[in-house]
Amino acid sequence: MLTNNNSNKMFFLFILFFSTLISISSNSWFGCWIGLEINLLSFIPLISNSKNLLSVETSLKYFLTQSLASINFLFMILIKFSLLKNFDMNNIISIMMNSSLLMKMGSAPFHFWFPNIVEGLSWMNNFMLMTWQKISPMILLSYYFNKNFLIFMIIMNLIIGSLGGLNQTSLRKLLAFSSINNLGWMIFSIMISENLWLFYFLIYSMMIFMMISLFFLMNMYFMNQLFINNMNFFIKLNLLINFLSLGGLPPFMGFMPKWIIINFLLINKFYFLTFIFMMTSLIIIYYYIRIIYSSFMFNYFKMKWVNLLMKNNMSLINLSSFISISSMILSTFIFM
Amino acid sequence: MMKFLFMMIFMIPLCFMKNMFWLVQMMLFFMMFLFMNLNLNIMCFFNMSYMFYCDIISFGLILLSIWICSLMIMASESLFKLNFYFNFFLFNVIFLLIMLYLTFSVLNLLLFYFFFEASLIPTLLLIIGWGYQPERIQAGMYLLFYTLFGSLPLLMGIVYIFNDLNTMTIYFLKFFNMNMYLLYISMIFAFLVKMPMYFVHLWLPKAHVEAPVSGSMILAGIMLKLGGYGLLRVMIFLQEVNLKLNYIWIIISLVGGLFISMKCFCQVDMKSLIAYSSVAHMSMVIGGIMVMNYWGFIGSYILMISHGLCSSGMFCLANINYERLHSRSLYINSGMMNFMPSMSLWWFLLLSSNMAAPPSLNLLGEISLINSLVSWSNISMILLMMISFFSAGYSLYLYSYIQHGKYFQGLYSFYVGSSREYLLLFLHWFPLNMMILKVDFISIWF
Repeated sequence: MLTNNNSNKMFFLFILFFSTLISISSNSWFGCWIGLEINLLSFIPLISNSKNLLSVETSLKYFLTQSLASINFLFMILIKFSLLKNFDMNNIISIMMNSSLLMKMGSAPFHFWFPNIVEGLSWMNNFMLMTWQKISPMILLSYYFNKNFLIFMIIMNLIIGSLGGLNQTSLRKLLAFSSINNLGWMIFSIMISENLWLFYFLIYSMMIFMMISLFFLMNMYFMNQLFINNMNFFIKLNLLINFLSLGGLPPFMGFMPKWIIINFLLINKFYFLTFIFMMTSLIIIYYYIRIIYSSFMFNYFKMKWVNLLMKNNMSLINLSSFISISSMILSTFIFM
Repeated sequence: MMKFLFMMIFMIPLCFMKNMFWLVQMMLFFMMFLFMNLNLNIMCFFNMSYMFYCDIISFGLILLSIWICSLMIMASESLFKLNFYFNFFLFNVIFLLIMLYLTFSVLNLLLFYFFFEASLIPTLLLIIGWGYQPERIQAGMYLLFYTLFGSLPLLMGIVYIFNDLNTMTIYFLKFFNMNMYLLYISMIFAFLVKMPMYFVHLWLPKAHVEAPVSGSMILAGIMLKLGGYGLLRVMIFLQEVNLKLNYIWIIISLVGGLFISMKCFCQVDMKSLIAYSSVAHMSMVIGGIMVMNYWGFIGSYILMISHGLCSSGMFCLANINYERLHSRSLYINSGMMNFMPSMSLWWFLLLSSNMAAPPSLNLLGEISLINSLVSWSNISMILLMMISFFSAGYSLYLYSYIQHGKYFQGLYSFYVGSSREYLLLFLHWFPLNMMILKVDFISIWF
């Protein structure tokens, strides 16, 4: 995306956006599959960089897993056309279709490629992978889903996303597991209504964007890098606010989508599922706070030979953290 | 009511200007006196507007929180002297005060939850940012996760109530009767963790000890009372289930209070002793609220206010010693009467209030609680007798170990006590021992 003088990537980016639109607005399942394939084909040039071996390996892994999911999806569509005449959603074919779409998204239990691949991508590519690439599989999921299967998948997503991130030190993998956890919330929201999913997704992508652009500008990929930098006070505040907001703590903006989803969970009487949502988000908050230890404390580890100094030239980021604090408080006064 | 909210919001830019440290404290005192002049009607909700209200309980607790916040700034003069990020500290204090003020005065139960949770964030920042030891990281974790573990089911309960009753206004909840066991446990568990009750009290010794003096003051002074306030509000519509299940919580807290009081005798750290005594006092408060008779509510409310002042004052005293000797240990802080005899007076006054000696407000609270708990069951006489006796015991233990005896030979020199410190302690002690002269505005609710 933010490339090094390669304007061909703009072209592929345009095709990427267009492919998602094809996929979600098509009249037939075959059109959806076409959109998914074009999505895959246009994302590969965005992430591959032939000078870097890790990049090549990552793009190959991505291609293999996604094409497997796509061909599985095509096969299930054809079986559905030929065998089933009804619109009943609680059958084995819907399970298979949902599985292939879940694999495209990187949701549990098909998530094993996801932390691997985010480790090999740059921050901006990660942002595309975590936000834009989820749109078309999600919406396709909402067209033909098996409720019981998806509830089981939600539970697996929540547990794997929360427990998987506990032993990670790479920031990209941490955000990957947090993305898997948030997929659980998003799958539930798309079972309720697409509007609700859009609300959750927009706020989630805004929060991820703020965090990823912060890490991108500071060029940080690992947790130990957070402690040895002399971060400016506003950068620290921004980091603190963003991660607490992503964890869903009041009074920040990230509390609002989680609260609304809990509302719908309780309306539909999913009491035990709500409990699992709450407890896994506690584990998530634990490893977010581990990341932001450095921003709680005023001092930092100073290295002997290298002096790293952060200048604050990110006024846009400061504005975004201000929005993050104040939007929640202001919205409570509006929605009273 | 909104005028106080805006006064606090506009104090925020004042925190970041130059040389405004004492002005902010003076403005908080000013706000305290303005707030005291609100029309106080005892039997009803007064000063109601679109989203705010004031009740006799919230009035007293808001007064206590403004008082303690202004005393927090007075106690943290060393941050100003040493120039250690005092602007952000002031911002933290004002932000915390805004969140506490809003917690006690919003009409909507969900907004109460929202600000209840939001008040954790500045407390966490105070503990980890300005604390003294490296153990403060673990202390902050314990505080955050114990409280969140309790309060996430509370969110579930509140949203369930909204879906069932279609209202969240606290005033209207008295017309309903929710008789569900699971709802009951999810609603009160958050407040029991916050109070804290015996089995979920582990966060309190850690957080109180590792916090700086201002963090300890606000934790002991107000944050524990958030749990009591929440219990008082939530009991309105959970009365029937409470009558069936309250014996669990009362027994756990009273027996736990007994164990904690005995554990106080084993402490070496001054602040740790004061923290454990907080748990013992709060155990009686839980007992009083759960019994649900009038004397129980009155006693718990009075004990909440008086314990807030008393514990906060004792943490100030512990910090006064810590600033001079740089140690909280009882082995080093001994024989202080030889050097700071006036401080010895203040230690004695506050510790005698802690053990509920007359004429302090703690005495009235404990007597009311003893009355209510014994009227619930005669056997609790034994537990209450032991708790009160041990609280006298460890208060005297703390006093005599610190003041009497031989002093530590490694001391060099320090000054006796600045008038700021005396004023700080006086402002803690004066409401505590003088409010006993007119208690009808906190103990006569109808």
